[in-house]
Amino acid sequence: MKIGVFICHCGSNIAGTVDCVKVAKNAEAFPDVAYSTDNMYMCSEPGQDHIVEMVKKHDLDGVVVASCSPRMHEPTFRRAVERAGLNKYMFEMANIREHVSWIGKDKDANTNKASELVRMAVEKLRRNAPLFSKKFETIKKVLVVGAGVAGIQAALDCADAGLQVVLVEREPAIGGKMAKLDKTFPTVDCSSCILGPKMVDVSQHPNITLYTLSEVEKVSGYVGNFSVNIKRRAPYVDFSKCTGCGACMEKCPAKKTPDRFNEFMGPTTAINIPFPQAIPKKATINPQYCRKLTEGKCGICAKICPTGAINYEMKDEVITEEVGAIVAATGYDLMDWKSNYGEYGGGRYPDVITSLQYERLLSAAGPTGGHILRPSDGREPKKVAFICCVGSRDRSIGRPYCSGFCCMYTAKQAVLTKDHIPDSQSYVFYMDIRAPGKLYDEFTRRAIEEYGTEYIRGRVSAIQPDGKGQYIVRAADTLLGKPVEVAVDLVVLAVGVEGAKGSGKLAETLHISYDNFGFFLESHIKLRPVETNTAGVFLAGSCQGAKDIPSSVAQGSGAAAKVIGLLSKPKLESDPQISNVNIKRCVGCGKCVDVCPFQAITKENIRGEIKAQVIEAVCQGCGLCAATCPQGAIQLSHFTDNQILAEVNALCQC
Amino acid sequence: MSVLTGKELRIVGFLCNWCSYGGADTAGVARATQPTDLRIIRVPCSGRVNPLFPLKALLSGADGVLVSGCHPRDCHYSAGNFYARRRLELLKEFLPIVGIDPARFHYTWVSASEGPRWKQVVTAFTDRIHKLGPAPKFQDAVPSYDMPDLAPVAPLRNLSCGANPALEDLKKQLKEALSDDHLFCVVGWQKSFDGLHATPLHMRKPEDVDKLIWGPFNVHSTANMIPQLVNDAKAAAMVGVKRGDPIPPAKKIGVVVKGCDGKWLVELLQEKLIDRDAVEIFAMGCNGTVSYDRIIAKIGAGKRIDSVEGNGDTLRVVADGQEYSLSMKDVAQDKCRACTVPNAPVYDHFAGDPVKVSEDAKPEAAAILAYLDGLTLEQRMSFWRGAIERCIRCHACRNACPMCVCREYCVADSREPHWVTQEDTPVNKLFFQLIHALHLAGRCTGCGECNRACPMGVPVGALKLHAARIVRALFDGYQPGTKLEAVPPFLGYEVEEKNIPEHQIEGA
Repeated sequence: MKIGVFICHCGSNIAGTVDCVKVAKNAEAFPDVAYSTDNMYMCSEPGQDHIVEMVKKHDLDGVVVASCSPRMHEPTFRRAVERAGLNKYMFEMANIREHVSWIGKDKDANTNKASELVRMAVEKLRRNAPLFSKKFETIKKVLVVGAGVAGIQAALDCADAGLQVVLVEREPAIGGKMAKLDKTFPTVDCSSCILGPKMVDVSQHPNITLYTLSEVEKVSGYVGNFSVNIKRRAPYVDFSKCTGCGACMEKCPAKKTPDRFNEFMGPTTAINIPFPQAIPKKATINPQYCRKLTEGKCGICAKICPTGAINYEMKDEVITEEVGAIVAATGYDLMDWKSNYGEYGGGRYPDVITSLQYERLLSAAGPTGGHILRPSDGREPKKVAFICCVGSRDRSIGRPYCSGFCCMYTAKQAVLTKDHIPDSQSYVFYMDIRAPGKLYDEFTRRAIEEYGTEYIRGRVSAIQPDGKGQYIVRAADTLLGKPVEVAVDLVVLAVGVEGAKGSGKLAETLHISYDNFGFFLESHIKLRPVETNTAGVFLAGSCQGAKDIPSSVAQGSGAAAKVIGLLSKPKLESDPQISNVNIKRCVGCGKCVDVCPFQAITKENIRGEIKAQVIEAVCQGCGLCAATCPQGAIQLSHFTDNQILAEVNALCQC
Repeated sequence: MSVLTGKELRIVGFLCNWCSYGGADTAGVARATQPTDLRIIRVPCSGRVNPLFPLKALLSGADGVLVSGCHPRDCHYSAGNFYARRRLELLKEFLPIVGIDPARFHYTWVSASEGPRWKQVVTAFTDRIHKLGPAPKFQDAVPSYDMPDLAPVAPLRNLSCGANPALEDLKKQLKEALSDDHLFCVVGWQKSFDGLHATPLHMRKPEDVDKLIWGPFNVHSTANMIPQLVNDAKAAAMVGVKRGDPIPPAKKIGVVVKGCDGKWLVELLQEKLIDRDAVEIFAMGCNGTVSYDRIIAKIGAGKRIDSVEGNGDTLRVVADGQEYSLSMKDVAQDKCRACTVPNAPVYDHFAGDPVKVSEDAKPEAAAILAYLDGLTLEQRMSFWRGAIERCIRCHACRNACPMCVCREYCVADSREPHWVTQEDTPVNKLFFQLIHALHLAGRCTGCGECNRACPMGVPVGALKLHAARIVRALFDGYQPGTKLEAVPPFLGYEVEEKNIPEHQIEGA
């Protein structure tokens, strides 16, 4: 075997702390190495061309590139190796940037470590074998989880491109957080006026199947061929009969049902349509508060319903859908501010509310009909304090990140407050004003300059009721360097955001990663922001990190473009790094069958003897079977026992 | 190239591609300064990490081994890390028996977003290894040839070597079963070259049954012949069958079993190496068997055995004209002393009354384990370094093992995969024994056949007993071979493992 070794300087990223020339020199002594060199940028076009040239010139059988993480550029170099006429699996990568040059400054140690990693890669490559992909069919259907603005955008784009779309929403109506907003920054246009038509498009699109009150329960399969179980909670209303007339809501006696859509700013009825523009515009029953379902007595809505749509006997159902790709667009929820901010009352003061609750007060379709009224006494507040960064950029409670859009909506809400109550005064307590979007800073300036909002730079230390109906907000003005105290009628908290409730569970179902705050992990933070590390699963909107509406819409479209690109290929290529059974060695005990998480191994009767067999399209290449088989009869291609042993030996026996 | 002397130690990491390798990348991207000792091997999943890889590294000169995967519930392949957790925990607790400090092996979970955590783990683990210093090399350990005189533990029940009155009943059942030709053959025991030994008896006709013996000399297993006989029966059924003809059903294999043979049968059935329908099990309560080594120790080696007679606890042996009176308390096998399963757990026919063992009878730790537990890590390594020198790699231990199901495809004889080389080194010899012990974890019924078969007296059974002890502690007293429907511990997992702690490194 003839191996070529190429050591990348990555500018000064690697060469700064690794003697790349020496590593290349050391590599010459490794077994089977026929050519060894170093290069400024291996991933550049000249760098890749050099590989191709040298493979041809030296008749190389395999290539080792020592550069960045294989998670970054393995596909790049595999393509180069393929261009050189080799099988792309005759390639190994030594990670001497993320794992060497970037984590220490000791040049001797780094150079030595880099050389050893190259040696390990060479030893593995010596045991590599050419692998060949198979082609398989895909299902031209996509599952979108979450029907907020990002999910809606992804669903519509996919549907317009001719794909079938299954849109799953946990709540009774679609629209997500955007549907709850009164107006949007920086244009102060009506949220439901711009989202409404999109929601109608969803309901009317022939390619979109919408499941509300539904959650994804189980996902099996692989890119192009997922099988998804969707659990649909019973609405107790036959949607094919319900016309959305709302007669049931008027008569329902359970009038103290908490109103989720209105952020619990007022009660609603047990049977309800969350808001006038709701899609689907169908009534649903909240089974925890319906008197018929809890006490067995009532049944008024069934009597009143002109179409006989009410059905108390409905049961939850599980729907199975086969899809080729999945877009997660589950959005965000507000963090639990009440248990973290006792100094803001921890939820005990009725007039200290979240900004989402304030949106519902501002909205003409909200519980107050668009009049700003204090929850405690229904009075119009004349002085309103807005507090930014409640649960954002606060390391003391383990929330280091910026929630991104709070500065902007706070400015918007200050503007709207002045519009609603012209003789009001707003105060905004902020840490920094973050307004980097198009027309954003201009908008904030307007809030300050035209609307007279008083911006006070400083974190609020306490909110206390003064006993006369007002609240004293105490802070330190860090610009003036002195304490401030303002008496206000209403306090609005811009609460930090985190991944939507249950996002961790969904991530586990989808086999994708998530961080401590419930946000899903993208494949690459800059270059693959809508992809995940699980092929066929994409991200859109705030589920990946806090995002405002324009970014969510853009990412929705981005995810859709990725799905369309994926499913537009007539067939996909399978990854050949899968398990293989050596039939001779297999004793047919089926331990591999028992442990396989994908049911990818079956037992076949081959000439009277039971043998394990791998279903190539189903195997995901985890290698659990290979670690289980005592006689080593099943091996994971590209990660065989001998390849890993060669790496161990390369490290330990030198 | 080698580690930078005095500056670095050899630390090998096995990282799953999706979480921990990504976490290490994230730490790198954040320029999180870390010690340089660690070398990372990328694997698809922590479930791919056969515990033998870290073990191989530790035996080959690594000073520390770190395995890291996705957090539980977060596995890219949904469950790989759950399986890994059980297997790696087994390895961690197994290591000290051969004198390897378990602190040199650590497994943990780091997600792709946890760059800072990765830095902490690497830094703390490297610190720990530096505190421990370079690992003692097995090949350089001072061999100890002290073989302690281990007093046998007291038996849990009365063992006897007298005639079993139910034997006639058993013979009647066997003759009846053999009379209608549905059995290919029945395996039992017959008298061998002298009265102290038994050899396998294959009964095909009712008259063969008369040769059957039952008693303290039925030492070897009948069960480990069954898989081969099942295949023989299948082959016999195919004789004269033309291509395209329906395949005729094979005859059943009958097997006479003691309690321990019954446990092996359960394991073989559970591992689907034989079909329950393919065997007919004849069981009888067992009163214990003898250890030849202990008898030879009493009467001296190289004697001609003239006669043997058992009565209750007393075994009367006449050798070279001299009479010896031996007590079963002295000469019974260790496994019989600790036996709580004298009756086969699964059977079709049972002769006589089951032998009773009190329910709260708890076997003591085997004397060899108690001895090893009393040694320091260094002394244990010396013990094995000395003991393994005697190993001649005859593989008799493997061949006698009823649970060594790989047979001719044992990894010890293979280059693909090439776990064990042909080099005659202590490390290689020990590694084979460790592979055997880890392959048997959760499967070994503690029969001690490996020890009995070893011509060189290497106490290899101790390794399996230690693994079995770990399995019992981790998995609520799991006893292989007692329940047909049980899921073997290393082929299953719990999302929350009751007895497996989350290991922390000081400072991380």
